[in-house]
Amino acid sequence: MIRWAIPALVVAACVGYLIYSASGGSAEYYMTVSQLRSHAVAGDVRVAGVVQTDVQKSNGGLHVTFTEQDGTASMPVEYSGALPDIFRPGITVVAEGRLGSDGIFHARTLLAKCPSRFSTTPYTQ
Amino acid sequence: MILGYLGAGALLAALVMGGFSAVLSFWAGFEENAVMVQVGRRAFYAAAAMTAVASAVLMWALLSHDFSLAYVTEHTDLSTPTALVAAGFYGGQEGSLLYWALVLGVLGSISLVASSSLGLRISGYAAGLMAVILSFFLVVLALVASPFDLLSITPPDGLGLNPVLRDGGMLIHPPVVLAGFASFAIPFCFASAALLAGRPDSAWIAHTRRFALIAWSLQTTGLVLGMWWAYHVLGWGGYWGWDPVENVALMPWLATTAYLHSSMVQETRGQLRTWNFGLVILAFLLVVFGTFIVRSGVVPSVHTFAISAIGPWFLAFLFVCITFSVVLLVARSGVAGGGEKPVAPVSREGAFVLQNLLLIGVVAVVFWGTILPLVSGMFGQQRVVGASYYERAAGPLLVVILALMAAGPLLPWRRAARLPSLRALIWPAATALVALAALLVAGAGSVPALIALPLVAAVVATCFMQYARLSAGWKSLPKVLVRRRRRYGAYLAHLGLAVLVAGIGASHFWQQEKDVTLAPGQQVTVAGYTLTYTGSEQRQLADHSELVASMRFGDATLEPGLATYVGLGGQALTHVAINTTPVADIYVVLAGANADGSAAFRVFVNPLVSWIWAGGAIIIFGVLLGNLGERAPAMEAVRRRVPAPAPG
Repeated sequence: MIRWAIPALVVAACVGYLIYSASGGSAEYYMTVSQLRSHAVAGDVRVAGVVQTDVQKSNGGLHVTFTEQDGTASMPVEYSGALPDIFRPGITVVAEGRLGSDGIFHARTLLAKCPSRFSTTPYTQ
Repeated sequence: MILGYLGAGALLAALVMGGFSAVLSFWAGFEENAVMVQVGRRAFYAAAAMTAVASAVLMWALLSHDFSLAYVTEHTDLSTPTALVAAGFYGGQEGSLLYWALVLGVLGSISLVASSSLGLRISGYAAGLMAVILSFFLVVLALVASPFDLLSITPPDGLGLNPVLRDGGMLIHPPVVLAGFASFAIPFCFASAALLAGRPDSAWIAHTRRFALIAWSLQTTGLVLGMWWAYHVLGWGGYWGWDPVENVALMPWLATTAYLHSSMVQETRGQLRTWNFGLVILAFLLVVFGTFIVRSGVVPSVHTFAISAIGPWFLAFLFVCITFSVVLLVARSGVAGGGEKPVAPVSREGAFVLQNLLLIGVVAVVFWGTILPLVSGMFGQQRVVGASYYERAAGPLLVVILALMAAGPLLPWRRAARLPSLRALIWPAATALVALAALLVAGAGSVPALIALPLVAAVVATCFMQYARLSAGWKSLPKVLVRRRRRYGAYLAHLGLAVLVAGIGASHFWQQEKDVTLAPGQQVTVAGYTLTYTGSEQRQLADHSELVASMRFGDATLEPGLATYVGLGGQALTHVAINTTPVADIYVVLAGANADGSAAFRVFVNPLVSWIWAGGAIIIFGVLLGNLGERAPAMEAVRRRVPAPAPG
C-alpha cells in the first residue's frame, strides 16, 4: 500500500493541476440579465433570460436579433447560426458570448432550456 | 379512478413488505437465523411483486387513457401513438421513479435468489440493504411523488408529449439508462453486506461482478443510445455536450469500469480488497448524487426539470448513504486489507492500479465541472465550465488510459521488470508509429489527434496480438475461444472501445461545418462533398406542417425538414437529414426559407461518426460473449476455503 502512495499522490497532483488550469481558463460567469447589467464583466459570460416578442430573423433564419429579459432588466441579443427548435418568445434561453461596446450582446451559442421528460410544463421552465 | 386507488394500494403494500423485509433481514442476518433470512428475502420478493403490480396498474391506466390520473393527463393524450403512450410510464418524474423501483425490485430479487451460497450474514444484510433502498423509493413514491394522484375533474384529453420526445429514441434510451442507474444499487448492497459481515474475502466479488457487469452494460448501452438520439434528433451536429445530466450518467460508468478491472486483480492475486469495496460504493454514491442533481434543479442545465419536492428527500438519502459508506469503509478497512502483498509497479496488476487511479481522476474532473456552479454560487457569482474545460482536463488522462490499454494486457502478472517480457510491447509501439506517420502524410496537424489516434491503433494491435498469442495456432482458435471466452470477450470490448474512440476522435478533430443560403439549383461544397439544393415544399400532416427542402447528394436525396406544431403554440422541430458513409456523415439542418425560394442550411461533415455506434455495439457484443454462462471460478475456489456456516 505504501509503495502506491507515491504514484497515487502523483496522479492526484496531476489531476488537481489539470482541473485547476482548465477551469481557470474556461470557467465563465453564469448570470441573469439584471446581474450582468449591475456588474459589467469583461470576457465571455452566459446570460439566462426570457426571449421577448421582438424576434427578428433574417438570412433564412440563420441570423436573429431579439431582446432577452428577466424580472427587472433587458438587453438586445444578436446571434448567427441555427436556432434551437424550441426557441421562441416566452422561453428561457442561455446566451453565451459577450456584451459589446455597442450595447448589444453578441452571442456565440444559444442554448434553449430543453423540454425534458421530467418536466410537466416544458415551455416555461 | 379505481386504477388510482389500486395503484396507490399496491405501493403501500410494497412499502409495508419492504420495511418488514429490511428489519427482519438485518436481524436474521445478525443472528444467522436461516429460516428468518429466508423469510426476509421472501418479503423482499413480495415487495418487488407489489411494485410490479403498481407498475402494471400505471401501464394499464396509460394505455386505457384514464385521465382521472394526473400523471396520465400530464404525459399523454389521445393522439399520441400507443408505443409512446406506453413510454409515458417512465416519461415523467413519478413514473420514472416507479420504473426505477421496479428494476431494483426485479434485479434485486434475481440477485438474492442466487445469494444463499454467500452465507447467512452476507445474504441477510444484502437483502436488508436492498429493502432499505427499495423502501426509500416507495416512501418517495407514496408520499411526495405519487403517479397515482387523482384529478378532481377528469379532463377529456391529456396534455401530450413534447414533439422533440415523439421519437423512436424515447422508446429505448430512457428505459435503458434508468435501468442502468437503478442496477448500480445491487453491487453496492452485496459489497456493503460483505463489509458489514466482516467477510471481505473474494466470495462477494464473483457475485457482485456479475451484477456490476449488468449495470455497466446497461449504462454503456444507455450512454451510446443517448448520444445516438441526440445526434439524430437535436440537429447541432454533435452527440455529447457535457451537460450535467450527461455527466452524472458518465461518472458511475467510469467508476464501475475501474471496478471491473481492479476486481480481476482481487480474483487473480487477492489484492486491492479495500479499494474494490470503495469503487463499488463510489459508483452507487455517484448514482444517488446524480439523481439528486438531476431531479432537484440545483445546477443550471439545458435539460429542464420540474422543480419538485423530491430534491430534499434525495439530498437526505445522499447524506445517509455517504455517512453509512464512509463509516463502514473506515471501520472495516483493517479487516478488508489485511494480509495483502503489495502490488509491483511494472506488472499487469500495476497497470490496473494506474488505470484505476486515472479513471477516478476523470471522475474527479467531471465531478468538479458538474458541481462548480453550485460551489461558486455559494461564494459569489455562479460560474460554469463548457466543453473546453472537460477536454483540457480529462483529455490528457484519457490519453494515458489509452496507452495503458495498449501496454497493460501485454504485461505479465506479478512483475515485468525483466526485458524479455517487455519485448511484446514493440508491436503496438510500431503500429502507433506507422499510424502516426500515416496521419502526418495525410496532413493532420492537430497535436491531440496525433497523440490519441496512434494510441488507438496501438490498442487494436494489442488486442489482435492477444488473440494470436493465446490461441497458439489458428486451428485451435474456435476451441480456445469458447474455453477462454471471458478473456476474448474482454479484448473484443477493448477493440470496440478503440473503434468508438477512433470515431469520437475523428469527428471531434475534423468536423467541418458551413452556414449557407442557397437558391434552387445552387451548390455547396463542404470537405469535398458537394450538395445541390433542388427546391423546397410545404407539407401538411395530421398535427403539424413541415417545410421540406431537397438536396441532391450523388444519387441520394437528402430531405432536411422544419416542422411546426400549431397545436403546441407553433413550436418548431428540426428534422435532420443524414447521409452515412463509412468515412463520414453528411449532416444537413434546414434553418429556414426565404420568400424568394432560397433556403438557409447548416451543413456538417462529421468523419467516422458511424464508428461510434459500431464501437458501442462491439463492446456490448464482447461483454455478452464473454460472460454468458460463465462459471465464476473465483466463487468455487472460495466455497472450498470458507464453508457456509451451519444453519441454526
